Amino acid sequence: MGRDKLNVVVVGGGTAGWMTAATLCKLLPTRCAVTLVESEAIGIVGVGEATLPHIRGFNERLGINEAEFMAATRATFKLGIEFRDWARKGDSYIHPFGAFGRGQGEVDFHHYWSRLREAGAPVSPIGEYSMAVTMAYANRFALPDPDPATIESTFNYAYQFDATLFAPFLRSVAEGLGAERIEGRIVDVELDGETGNVLAIKLESGDRIEGDLFVDCSGFVSLIIGKALGEPFEDWSQWLPCDRAVAMPCRTETALTPYTSATAMDSGWRWRIPLQHRTGNGYVYSSEFISDEDARAAIVAAVEGESIADPRVLKFKAGRRARSWVRNCVAVGLASGFLEPLESTSIYLIQAAIGALVELFPERAISPVDRDEFNRLIDLEYDRIRDFLILHYHATERSDTPFWDYVRTMQVPDTLQEKIDLFRRRGRIVKYREGVFLDASWIAVYTGQRIVPEGHDRRADLPSIDALVRGAEALRQEIHTKAEHMPDHRAHIERYCPMAEAA
Amino acid sequence: MNGDIHRVAIAGGGITAWSAAAAVKRKLPMLEVVVISSPPPPDALADRIVNTLPSIAEFHADLGLSEEDTIVRAQSGMRLGSRFTGWSGGLRDYVHAYGSYGASVGGIPFHQLWLREGQLQEYDCYSLGAALGRAERFPTTCTADAQIGYGLRLTLDRYHELMRAYALHLEATERPGDVVDVAVRDDGFVAAIILSDGARVEADLFVDCTGPAARIRSRLGGSWESWTKWLLCDRVNVTDEAPRQDQPLLDEVSAHSNGWSASCATVFSSSHASGDDDSAVRLEQGRRGQPWINNCVAIGDAAISVEPLEWTNLHLVHSQLDRLVSMMPGADYAPIELAEYNRQCNAEADRVRDFISMHYITAPPTGPFWKDAAVIDPPPSLEHTLSLFAERGRLPYYEEETFTRDSWLAVLFGQGFLPRRIDPLAYSLPAGEVASILRTCRDSVARFSASQPSYREFISDMGQRERP
Repeated sequence: MGRDKLNVVVVGGGTAGWMTAATLCKLLPTRCAVTLVESEAIGIVGVGEATLPHIRGFNERLGINEAEFMAATRATFKLGIEFRDWARKGDSYIHPFGAFGRGQGEVDFHHYWSRLREAGAPVSPIGEYSMAVTMAYANRFALPDPDPATIESTFNYAYQFDATLFAPFLRSVAEGLGAERIEGRIVDVELDGETGNVLAIKLESGDRIEGDLFVDCSGFVSLIIGKALGEPFEDWSQWLPCDRAVAMPCRTETALTPYTSATAMDSGWRWRIPLQHRTGNGYVYSSEFISDEDARAAIVAAVEGESIADPRVLKFKAGRRARSWVRNCVAVGLASGFLEPLESTSIYLIQAAIGALVELFPERAISPVDRDEFNRLIDLEYDRIRDFLILHYHATERSDTPFWDYVRTMQVPDTLQEKIDLFRRRGRIVKYREGVFLDASWIAVYTGQRIVPEGHDRRADLPSIDALVRGAEALRQEIHTKAEHMPDHRAHIERYCPMAEAA
Repeated sequence: MNGDIHRVAIAGGGITAWSAAAAVKRKLPMLEVVVISSPPPPDALADRIVNTLPSIAEFHADLGLSEEDTIVRAQSGMRLGSRFTGWSGGLRDYVHAYGSYGASVGGIPFHQLWLREGQLQEYDCYSLGAALGRAERFPTTCTADAQIGYGLRLTLDRYHELMRAYALHLEATERPGDVVDVAVRDDGFVAAIILSDGARVEADLFVDCTGPAARIRSRLGGSWESWTKWLLCDRVNVTDEAPRQDQPLLDEVSAHSNGWSASCATVFSSSHASGDDDSAVRLEQGRRGQPWINNCVAIGDAAISVEPLEWTNLHLVHSQLDRLVSMMPGADYAPIELAEYNRQCNAEADRVRDFISMHYITAPPTGPFWKDAAVIDPPPSLEHTLSLFAERGRLPYYEEETFTRDSWLAVLFGQGFLPRRIDPLAYSLPAGEVASILRTCRDSVARFSASQPSYREFISDMGQRERP
């Protein structure tokens, strides 16, 4: 067995590149030597200012201190995502990182909730029975209680941070672990005429960098897997028609919310991500339905607070490479595919790819078994997130603009239609043990977008309606009381992880 | 929604049928349940195999049955796993014990550390269950979660009586009778079942627990997925004699020239036998494409016929009942609800098939039967599992998997099936540290095992509890 180290060349130094470099150096120090090539002349896209709770596991594995990381990236806490105006104008709900009810017991809380609704009994919107949702609306934050018996243990959290600061933060971690950084612009990719493997990349300076394994973190340009190896791109824009975003940060003047907001717009949606020092804003739209100019005007009109930079337009296309690992090249992040940031999955997808690469780290002669398994796992992640995102658009009653009319009436993938039908029928979630979004996420979005079950689990018929009404109300009050006693989000941050004063 | 199901008829009189009645009445007491009881046929394995998996404890707890009831009064024995002899060529016999083998270290799976050290000690040295079982000791003190699992060895008549009494206590009713005919409506729904005495029993939902013949469900048609190209054994001889509590904690499962045997069953391939054994019953391994169709659901052997290797028969019943109760549809039996039920049942059955088939495919090819077994083309999901494992010791995750990774590893390693290479992650620790982790683990397994009472003592203490 080849005990010598593989030379891993990471192409691109954005979030994906430095996350990859840091992880490989940390977890496989005896198996690989990591060189990262990046050019300061090329900006980073800086996607994913908002994250999912999985990022905490990533940081932990690298031994990153939470407070230091949050201060360095000017991060805030995130308990979920608020969706406004999606099913109907005026609607609003939060997709929380946490359970509805206590999240235990053999019948899920939403079945009791459905039964009360069906019976016409007094019942509040389902978010009122979620610790995370209640904290979010109250702008409160405290760390989850480790005791699973308490209601304060029923939520999880992620971060909202400045992605342009995350990459440099990880760079110092990776370089500390032995990653070598080379500055330079890549002008050519050299392939082996016989095997088709990547032999080396050539820089503008004339330098040639050889490697055994290339990790393509070059972003949308997809320098190796797309351009050099020609791996086809599976286009999903028939279901996810948004292909542009116009981003415009502004000063944070309103409350520092422990959640991200996604507000439906005429031809897409608008994000709002509060950081310690500023608020990220952007309009994700479909160029088929609105011009760049009108989109720019719409975001300018919509943002609160003084703008810090001019609106900047990004172009993309929803979909993924048919395979993310081809020959001796593994694509991580935007080079492998793109799904709009509606559910903050960009960094999660990077993390999933890195995790799979570590678990399936190859030998010099790459086994197709490793490669196929990697591609199977990554496809599964993409496909499930895709369905979840499409649900947000499709589950709408809006027909007030051509964009909403299109997504409302489009044919969705069968895998999603079955999930929707099953939930509508009896509140059943197609259960998967693996996958990023679990039951509570689906329940939040279904109910938030007015897909209300026609029936419920029969076992939820056992308690009397009166007992259920009393129980639900006691739960709601307990959650609200507990939330009120938690610290204010900003106060918690100022004590725990304040950023250094901006120069 | 067109209303709810009210009346449920359960056909079959074995453990499967009574367990179904108890589960439905306990969880959905608003349903009226009648059991059309008759003695289970000889080929109904879930009703006749005494060995069970640890999941039976969850089933009991879920139903509100205590260990006093299910172990002491029902006179069940305990089992910590199986000891396989003759399945691994020249290697020592191996133990598939329930519970964990070692513990992962810093994200590195334990078995990769074992591989890295070069498999110096047998893999089952790292299992508490295996060590206790070999020493005939039974744990009285608690260990960390999932370190040890135990199944029960049932005293069938006692256990049958317990389930029946419990179901009747929960107000299920019993109507003795044999199903001889089924009245099927034009739309393919069951209108009624006709009993041998001419009685006609109507219900909203029919639960078929009549064994492989599936007296009701078979009348509604649908496909049958045969597994005979993967599982060559087609005969089973079930024995049920010795008192359960005197038997060892680990069942010895011995490979034979054309199958295998344990104290409670002998399973073989008739086409590899010199002469047919008249006492053995036929076994056609496979499953129904749709266990649930319209208003009739097949449970246990009526849905899945699988040999008792690894003792999954009653486990599958429990798992199906759990689904039946939690996925009870409306009286219109919406196809989308039944399809989800069937999808989960089928995924579960197929992975059980894979796990069992793996025992044969990875065994050394000694003799014609084993040679035939070794060259079988595995089903795609097993092919995927074995190729990934053979390459680097990784096991892919499948939904509705019955056996844990620890179980897969125990059998694969026990049979001497080793990956080509070791996961690079295992090299993130220095060799000395790996050796010390393994030694510490072995020592603590041995120490814990030695500190526990003998199984005999445990049983006699339990017997004391029975007397008031």
